[in-house]
Amino acid sequence: MSKVLGGISESKKNEPLLAPELLSQLERLELVSRKIFRGRMKGERRSKRKGQSVEFADFRNYVAGDDLRFIDWNMYARLDKLFLKLFMEEEDLHFYALIDGSSSMEFGDPNKFHYAKQLAAALGYIGLCRADRVKVELLDASPTSDAPVLRGKANLWRMLQYLEGLQSGNNCTLNEAMKSFALRNSGKGILVLITDLMDKSGYESALRYLVARNLDVYLIHVLSQPEIDPDINGDLRLLDCEDGDEAEISVSQRLIDRYRQTLATYIEQAREFCARRGIVYMMTSTERPVDRLVSRYLRQRGLVR
Amino acid sequence: MLGPIGWIILGLVPPLILMLYFLKLRRTPLEVPSTYLWTKTIEDLHVNSIWQRLRNSLLLLLQLLLALLLILACLGPGCQGQKLSGDRFIHLIDQSASMSATDLPNGQTRLEFAKQEVAKLIDSMDSEDTAMIISFSDRANVKQSYTRNRSLLKRKLAEIKQTQRGSDISEALLAASGLANPGRTSDRESERDVQVADALAARLFIFSDGAVKEVANFSLGNLVPEYRPVGAFDIPNNVGITAFAISDDLDTVGLQAFAQIQNSDDENHSVDVELYVNDELHDLQDDFEIEAGDTRGISFDLGGLLDGLESSVPVRLEIKDSDVYSLDNVAYGIIEPPSQSRVLILTRNNPYLQFVFETDRLKKLAEVEFKEPDFLKTKEYQDNAILGIYDCVIFDQCAPEKMPECNTVFIGSLPTSEEWQASEKQFPTLVVDTDNSHPLMYNIQMGNVLIIESSQLTGPKGMVALMESTSGTIMGVGPRGGFEDLVIGFPIIEYSDQGDETHNSDWPNHLSFPLFMQNVVIGLGGGSRFDSTQGTQPGKLVNIKTRMPTSSVEVRDPVGDTIELRPRADRSFVYGNAESTGIYSVIDKESELQDQVFPVNLMDSRESNLAVRENLEIGYDEIIGSVESIPETKQYWPWLVLICLFVLIMEWFIYNRRVFI
Repeated sequence: MSKVLGGISESKKNEPLLAPELLSQLERLELVSRKIFRGRMKGERRSKRKGQSVEFADFRNYVAGDDLRFIDWNMYARLDKLFLKLFMEEEDLHFYALIDGSSSMEFGDPNKFHYAKQLAAALGYIGLCRADRVKVELLDASPTSDAPVLRGKANLWRMLQYLEGLQSGNNCTLNEAMKSFALRNSGKGILVLITDLMDKSGYESALRYLVARNLDVYLIHVLSQPEIDPDINGDLRLLDCEDGDEAEISVSQRLIDRYRQTLATYIEQAREFCARRGIVYMMTSTERPVDRLVSRYLRQRGLVR
Repeated sequence: MLGPIGWIILGLVPPLILMLYFLKLRRTPLEVPSTYLWTKTIEDLHVNSIWQRLRNSLLLLLQLLLALLLILACLGPGCQGQKLSGDRFIHLIDQSASMSATDLPNGQTRLEFAKQEVAKLIDSMDSEDTAMIISFSDRANVKQSYTRNRSLLKRKLAEIKQTQRGSDISEALLAASGLANPGRTSDRESERDVQVADALAARLFIFSDGAVKEVANFSLGNLVPEYRPVGAFDIPNNVGITAFAISDDLDTVGLQAFAQIQNSDDENHSVDVELYVNDELHDLQDDFEIEAGDTRGISFDLGGLLDGLESSVPVRLEIKDSDVYSLDNVAYGIIEPPSQSRVLILTRNNPYLQFVFETDRLKKLAEVEFKEPDFLKTKEYQDNAILGIYDCVIFDQCAPEKMPECNTVFIGSLPTSEEWQASEKQFPTLVVDTDNSHPLMYNIQMGNVLIIESSQLTGPKGMVALMESTSGTIMGVGPRGGFEDLVIGFPIIEYSDQGDETHNSDWPNHLSFPLFMQNVVIGLGGGSRFDSTQGTQPGKLVNIKTRMPTSSVEVRDPVGDTIELRPRADRSFVYGNAESTGIYSVIDKESELQDQVFPVNLMDSRESNLAVRENLEIGYDEIIGSVESIPETKQYWPWLVLICLFVLIMEWFIYNRRVFI
């Protein structure tokens, strides 16, 4: 019987995904996209598409077939030319929250998977409040997904219900999951990927799929405290919970230092990779409360305001 | 110490630890989210992994260090002051009286110092070396025969006690030599001494101050002697009593105590000498000057003490000035109340004998009974002779059928023993020598004495010739059990069968005859106005003859310890426990009364001379003392074991508390 690094806390697992006091806090926030995307329905945010809002955007020459209702007749009277008056269109936003459901996410106290669900719920709720199209789903390599697309505050319970029902243990690679996601979803918008990045096949190609979809990608790298600062000693045989891989180590200060160095390098590499591709990267420990993460750190990164 | 197998096992411990370490039989499994980062971490550790592991494993290093320290500790490292080379060592340690001198720094006695030095030598022995310990005073004692067991040697060394005896190294040398030289025995008396081990050369360490009896006719053979003089280099300050006697030789002066005081220092000394009688100060002499290396006599008047004296009185002479050797600062003596001896003279009609014993002086000394030789056949004589009623019986030209239980004098006859033989009478007899050192011949001049004819005597083993003529011994004294028989080979008056008397010597006409008879009464009859015996020296056997025959006596030593003795066949008692100086008392167990007291005194000028002899003469060899001190052997292994313990604690701490370096 092997021990488990960091242990699994059942009590923390049973905590509600969103505390009532957090809800009121989240209602004041909104998701911000650094890009203006074209939504499918009228939403509460300005669209790239010129539409029927009251806000003037531009003029353009009339071409045959244009809706005569938008011709600026005053301009015609003055200049004797037909111009169309263009207005800004207000649209909804696509918000995707992707949760890594691999076995490695089950570690830590609070456990990383639960933490990821809490975070997805919080961000999803912000989106629901602002009438964005919210889709929370588990990373999965299957070509179909049963994740509901939700809009409106009233769908909070559906979102939470769906999140509660999510189970970890789906050990597909990040690459496969991203590929599948990219194929399934064509809509542009904000994508928050919550993962521990513990994928031996690498994360780079996976993220490239997202970059190629021109999504506004946020990568939230969740690590538990025992992973950041391992509290182990002695001669150990480490067992990988996902693939059963073994690594024999004899713990020494040098090894621990080296591990920390490796982790720091890994994080730095990820940060750099993301920065180069316009992905916002953020590493967080499960010990950092979700409300603080959303209200302070993600606000700083520009995901919410 | 460890044998070869032990060393092999010990040598295998470090490789075993290494092996076990690499095998890692017990690795604790631990489930982690991913081995991804760990694998990356240890990736470069796989390069030179063995050395990397070694470098990183503090616990392994500590374990190896622990094992190495333990091995080192097992090697028993120590800083050896002196490397003893050779296989066998014999340590002779002087435990005689002079070794109690405290002339060494910090008041250590010479014996303590010698024991300390021998302990160092034992420590510096190799594990294969063997050693034995012999202590000696006036006799030798093999404390420990050859052994490799150093702790046993040390234990036996510690058991060596200071004695108050004199020193005679010859017996110790004999014991040592018997084990070192082929064909020699360490016990001359025993015919059963069989050499069981090969005689091997041995180094002989003699720890002594050199105040030992000369050893003549001794060859060291295979023994390689090394003399380590013990004592201060400067001649220590010591003034001691080397003789003490109480006598009243000169009637005019009365009772006197004489003492001889010796100054063995190289400086003049003046000392205060006090005489105690019955533990009360009787007389003293202040500032008694003795020159360096000189001996001076001192006398104290004890006149009047004998008057009305009924029991024995202890006398003690003390030098009040303290020095490094206190043993010779006190001497003991006894004044016995006047006692008369019983002398039986069996003679036909020797007027000279009668005349001599009529003198006042001899009357005081002895109660004399004159009887005809026929008295020998009476029951009275036989009973008295067996009971030892007489102190001395003088047989003038007669002899008993059975020798009486007392000293005897035979004039012109022989004791009834085959050991005594006499030749035919020879004429003329010229006295050529007398042994004036013998108490019986004290002050006897025979030069002008005429002896017409005399027999030549041969006596038992141990006979001392007192008077010799041109043709042989004509007077001798020989032992018979606890008694002595004096035989004079010539009669003074010869009696023919017809009753005629012929004078054979004019000795009775000379002064030497009454003096001789007085010596006989004092020496053989035990008669004196007081018992001036100086007793004996520590360690010597004391022959006790009670006034009346008894079934047991108790001897009380100066400390107060008692020992009960049973009589021997001759009704005398032998006491062998007179180990310390002082006054011993003998109590008759039948009557519960004190029978006698006797003093035991050191009285040994050699032991009182504390100057350390630089050389020791053994037979024809002169051994030059080597005064080098033996540096102490320092044992480091206990420290190593202590470090081991510390390492063990550290290991435990590191293992449990996760300390990293």
